[in-house]
Formats: sequence, C-alpha cells, structure tokens
Amino acid sequence: MKKSFLTTILLLSIFWSCQTEKKVNEKEEYLRWVGDIEHNAQIDEIDFKVCNGDDKILQYFNLGEGPVYRGEKSKILNAFKSKYQPISGKNQNGLIRIRFIVNCKGKAGRFRVLQSDFDYQEKEFDKETVSQLLNITKGIENWEVFKRHEVPVDYYIYLIFKITDGQLTEILP
Amino acid sequence: MKYFYFLILLFPFSSMIAQPNCEAYKYYGDTLKYEACKKAMGIKGHYQFSKEYQTVLDESIEIDPTFDYAYWAKSIAYLKSGDFVTWKKLIDKAVEYNPKEHLGYRGWCRFQFFRDYKGAIRDIEKLDSLVDYDIGQSQNGTYHLNIAKGLCYKAIGEKEKAIAILEKQIKLNEQENLFGANDYLHLGVLYLETEKFEKAIELFKKQSENNELAENQYYLALTYKKLDNLNEYKSCLEKAKELYVGGRKMSDPYSNPMDKIYLENIENEINTAYNNGYK
Repeated sequence: MKKSFLTTILLLSIFWSCQTEKKVNEKEEYLRWVGDIEHNAQIDEIDFKVCNGDDKILQYFNLGEGPVYRGEKSKILNAFKSKYQPISGKNQNGLIRIRFIVNCKGKAGRFRVLQSDFDYQEKEFDKETVSQLLNITKGIENWEVFKRHEVPVDYYIYLIFKITDGQLTEILP
Repeated sequence: MKYFYFLILLFPFSSMIAQPNCEAYKYYGDTLKYEACKKAMGIKGHYQFSKEYQTVLDESIEIDPTFDYAYWAKSIAYLKSGDFVTWKKLIDKAVEYNPKEHLGYRGWCRFQFFRDYKGAIRDIEKLDSLVDYDIGQSQNGTYHLNIAKGLCYKAIGEKEKAIAILEKQIKLNEQENLFGANDYLHLGVLYLETEKFEKAIELFKKQSENNELAENQYYLALTYKKLDNLNEYKSCLEKAKELYVGGRKMSDPYSNPMDKIYLENIENEINTAYNNGYK
C-alpha cells in the first residue's frame, strides 16, 4: 500500500514536471524572429540554400524598398492571371498566404502556406486551389535581389491571395 | 504654407500609437496594469520580430491579461509577416480592452495589409461612433482615416459614397491648411471613373501642385483621352513615364497603394497612343 502510494506520488511528480517544462518550453517556442522558416528536409527543395545563414535572413521591408518584384508586380499578376484555374465549390472564400525566402541570388525556397476565411479563422481550401497557387509561385524563377551595404542578402517575402468563390480577386502586397 | 502630413517618409518603422505612461496607471491605483506596463517597457531596444521582444510582452500579459498595449505591440510582427490569423487574434484582444485606442489602427491595417474593405469600414465607423473627437490619421500618417474609409467604399463599388466622403474630408483638411499625400489623386480618379472629367482635371492639377506623381499624370492622360484632347493625353503619358522612371510614384514600405500603376501600364498606354496615330 505504502509502495503504491509512493509510486503514485512519483508518477504525479513526473507528470507535474513535464507540465511545467512544457509551459517553459511554450515561452521558448519563439525562433529568432516571428515567422522564421526552418529548413524541413521532408518538404523543402534540396538545392535551395540561403547565402548568409538563417540568422541573417531579413524581411522584405527591412531594406526600405517595399514589396519589389523583378519585372514589377504586373509580372506577378500576369503569371497568376494566365495560369490559375478557378476551382468552384462551396467554401472557396478567404485568404491564402504563401511565405518564402528569396536568397542572395534571387531564387526562392522554403515555401509555407497559411489559409483563413475572411474572418481570419484558419481553414483549408480545396487542395487543388492551394497547389495551383503554390506551383505558380514556385514557377516564378527570379525574384528581386536586395542588397545591404552592396552585399546581396536573403529575405522573407510573401504573397497573399484573396479568393472569392474560387476566383482569385487580389494578390497582395 | 501647406502642411504635408506624409509622415511615412519620416517614420517608416515607427508606430503612431503612443507608448503608455505607466505612472498614470499607478496614479489611478491600477497597480496590476502598472506592473504589466513596467514589464512591457522592457521591449525597448529589441526588434519587434525578436523572441526577446515577444517574450517580454508575454510576461506583461501574464501580469495583466487585460493590458491592451502588450497585445497590440505583439501583433505588429505578425501583421508585417502576413500572419493574418495570429495578428487578428492579438489585435482583437487589444481592441476588446481598449477600443478607442485600437479600432482605427485595426481598421487601417485591414485595409493596408489585407484589403479587407468591409472590415476596415466597420472598424473606422465604430470608432467614429465611440468618440466625439477627430478620429485621426492612418498608422503611417498617409491618410486621414475618413479618406481610408472612402477608399474602402470605392473598392466595394460605392463610388458616389466614396466621393462624398473624400470631398468632405478634403474640405476639412483645406480649412486647416493641410493636405494628404495622395488625396487629390484618389478623388480625381474617382471623378474620372464616374465620368466627371472636368472635375477630375481640376483635382489632378491640385495634386500636381502639392505632390506630383507618375500616377497623377497617368490618370490625367486618361482623362484627356476621354475628352479627345490627344495632345495633352500623349504629353501627360510622357510626363508619367519620366516621373515613374525618376522614382516619383506611389509607394508604401509594406504594400502597394490603391490607384498605384506600374511602368507597364504607362508603356502600354503610350503604345496605344502611337498605334492609334495620336502623334
């Protein structure tokens, strides 16, 4: 009886310590910066490399030029306008963000997708809608090369797609 | 002298929502908020995106889960990284605990970052209903919030309502000797789109006097085209191209402003002009 009591206390202690650790870990869940994308060998392209190390990847707006695209935004708009095929069906409304890294050579990689309805609640669009947007984005071969102090840098950028009834109505930023 | 409230050029990385006065909470006996506020001030020197910045604010929220400033400050990095899901959860908390302080900001961000026109209108109109003072400028200082609201009405197809809102706010601004960076241009485009061509020209000329932009000459060209004034049409297109190449165009550090054009638009229009024999 005494032994089982001690065992219970021990198990509760272990359980409690795990809970506590989890709470501490929650605080430490942040990476270097909000939105940092770690390399994932399962999904990321093998040949995509950042040039200056993950801890030096900037945000597109850190360089003060705003959202700049090679060939201007009209090139991006034209790419999606000509290639995207609307998927009709219920619930094809909301926002899809594709965020990724552009390296010092203007190549893009580590694409990540976020989806929500128009009330900013997470949801999932039809897989075909998402894969089309992802593939068209990946198909844009050259992105603007940003420099800091004359040195080409790696940076995060994103595209947000507004989808209404499956139709692509706006591309941001 | 007119005062140009184009603060974005001066403070592109700053925030217009004031840093809270922690001592005020203490004075009014809210010791919990005072402690949360003091903790939150630990963000100084840390980048908004950094884990240090975010962690300090988490600790502030742990002290007082109703401290709106901490939610607002946390939300900024999520907004700028395009994480609309996390941003919305955080900014909603800030609005919940201090609507008068954050409704205008949330409305503006809905418009600037996500082109959430109806949501922006709701927030700005809600703020207007709660306060008896001027609802003020957008976060970046480029627009009065009423101008932003008008642009949202335009985007959802209510152009006459948009015109009325812009006309009213511009008149109020002029009484104070103020003008917005792009206000005349936007109203001019609205007149052009509703076929009030003479009024459009008047507004584009005002924009030229105050803040000349490639977009302004481009839309002026389109107006002259509608009026069959082909010499002015072509001349304005050439000016638009010159301005654009020279960098005198609409810009924003985070987004592409409404009514912005690209070099391709100007060149296509110039090609149209030549192909149609407008020489």
